[in-house]
Amino acid sequence: MSKPRVGIFGLTGCAGDQLVILNCEDQLLDLVALIEIRDFLMASSDGQPDGALDIAFVEGAVLTMRDADTLRAIRKRSQILVALGTCAVWGGVAAMDRGADRGKLLEEVYGERGLEYDSCAAQALHEMVKVDFNITGCPIEKEHFLSAVAVLLNGDPPLYPQYPVCTECRMRENNCLLIERGEICCGPITAAGCDARCPNLRIPCIGCRGPVADGNAESVLALFEAKGFDRRRVAARLRTFAPQEVAQ
Amino acid sequence: MSTIVIEHLARVEGHGGITVELEGDAVTSVHFDVFEGARLLEPLLRGKRYDEVAPILSRICSICSTAHTLTSLKATENAFGIHVSPQTELLRELMFRGESIESHALHLFLLALPDYLNYPSAIAMAADKPAAALLGLRIKKLGNTIQEVIGGRAIHPVNAVLGGFGKVPSYDNLIALRSGLMQAMSDCDTVIDLIASLPATDFCHSDTWFAALRSPNLDCYYAGDEVMVVSNGNRAIVHAADYRSLTNEKAVAHSHAKHSTFRGSPFMVGSLARLTVNPRRLTGKLAVAMKRLKLQLPADNPMDNNKAQALELINDFERALEIIEQLLRDGVKDERAIPVHPRAGIGAAITEAPRGLLIHSYTYDEEGRIANADVITPTALNAASIELHLRRTVEQCAEREEAVITKRLQMVARAYDPCISCSVHLVRPCAPVGLSYTRTENPTKRF
Repeated sequence: MSKPRVGIFGLTGCAGDQLVILNCEDQLLDLVALIEIRDFLMASSDGQPDGALDIAFVEGAVLTMRDADTLRAIRKRSQILVALGTCAVWGGVAAMDRGADRGKLLEEVYGERGLEYDSCAAQALHEMVKVDFNITGCPIEKEHFLSAVAVLLNGDPPLYPQYPVCTECRMRENNCLLIERGEICCGPITAAGCDARCPNLRIPCIGCRGPVADGNAESVLALFEAKGFDRRRVAARLRTFAPQEVAQ
Repeated sequence: MSTIVIEHLARVEGHGGITVELEGDAVTSVHFDVFEGARLLEPLLRGKRYDEVAPILSRICSICSTAHTLTSLKATENAFGIHVSPQTELLRELMFRGESIESHALHLFLLALPDYLNYPSAIAMAADKPAAALLGLRIKKLGNTIQEVIGGRAIHPVNAVLGGFGKVPSYDNLIALRSGLMQAMSDCDTVIDLIASLPATDFCHSDTWFAALRSPNLDCYYAGDEVMVVSNGNRAIVHAADYRSLTNEKAVAHSHAKHSTFRGSPFMVGSLARLTVNPRRLTGKLAVAMKRLKLQLPADNPMDNNKAQALELINDFERALEIIEQLLRDGVKDERAIPVHPRAGIGAAITEAPRGLLIHSYTYDEEGRIANADVITPTALNAASIELHLRRTVEQCAEREEAVITKRLQMVARAYDPCISCSVHLVRPCAPVGLSYTRTENPTKRF
């Protein structure tokens, strides 16, 4: 049987999800024995920019017309497209205030030249092409990537927790940072899968994995309001990694 | 007229390319094109509260996320007059070492080495030369483990916060790190043998200015407030508060990265610059290794940055071990982060990220919300120097075969270990009127 052809791509972002793949130091050589990596620009200079792929992993958000063209081309050649990381799944930090006047921001940073740059408001992958599976996280968890490869090779869909960080946090028997310490913790509306990494360290969740399915943002906002926080500011904080209007 | 285009530079972080235009044998223009999308994180930060700043700016770049996080925290602490404990400073320095070990191992073994040995990737290289690949992966993993143990995560660390740490590492964890580092120390000879055995890369010579944080007494990435710029016996010192004189950046059409020069000359930051500015650390094992690598300082060949990274790996192992020994000797106190009392002011910090000088500077309003953020990254500082050295590479190439020139151009660009996500980040040129740099009682603590 021929090995599945895989491509690993980065649009605009920090390359952290591709780095997570390269950080699988103990598994990397076994992993590449199971698949045929056809395109992985960050790690290899013999990429084949054309030709069909069985699986494409794409990290980053769409922030330029070039990104948009790249993404469409990847979609065209791939049977399965997996969005890798919060930027790809939700838009990520670059999308936090995407209603802002982009021309003005570009001009502020780069001067008049900024207006000539190829630049558009951040978009998640699914806003532009069909995405088959999402692996969220900023960055993704190593184990999630490895298990995704394993199950996809077996023809199964990768599945991830559908409950909030609070569930994992309670399992670890942490004191609640929100209720007991009055800190702005995004745990109640953030997708689990990190084993409550931050609250385990007594640090409030900042929502880097994006919203949990069916999260009740209204009730969480009311809770923060009752604790004396400014509703608008808390709402902005909850949107740091995923703008409100990006629905999955 | 002919043009050489490297559409998309592989084996680097981010999206960039190279365009060279030739008129006969004369090089008319060289562009290091950065087409990474502009994420505009700095203006998006405006109005964000002090505790949101480091986690957001960490996302500038994954490979340098520890440096961005810690430099950000330090800039904010400087603005608010927070002095962290000596233990916190040690733990932060240790995180920097972990990041440098990971980053240098990734670059040397997985990104740069395949060029020297004629493989398209480390994956292809591993099939024929598994020992080299495994050695690189082992060292890289050690760097990540240090960042995980101290920072809570290898990429975008979560445990380092304003005033200290969420939780300090346990005794057992430090013991485990120590044995990992001792193993790494025994790998040093193999690393140096490997790098010394590589074919010579003698294809770009140029007088070069180097800039790095001066750490005359102690070997630090995280402490110090003077940047030294040296070239051919000339030297100048730039105080952290005047960092803008290093970065009279101008926006250029072909790139989303601004270009920096010092007194009109491009300058290089990173491993080679650090060793050139602080030659006193090159004693003992490092001096022997330097001889075996035939590295002479100041170097006039940017490819020597790869050798400098190999030397720094040894230096990082040694320094990390020293820090851990000290922590174990003194005992790790279960310190809580110092409470934050925001105030209006400006705070800046300069550190040595794996690729060189990293500067964060913020203006806060009285509520502790960001009024202005200014971030200057190593690859943005290096951009003008990269272009100069690419130009010299073409000029000094006796062969006119495009494949030869192309390969050399890629190797020279890669020797800088460019981090293109970082390079896109910039800045407003001046501080708003009415605020001055915050003075704290100990001026050296300011940065």
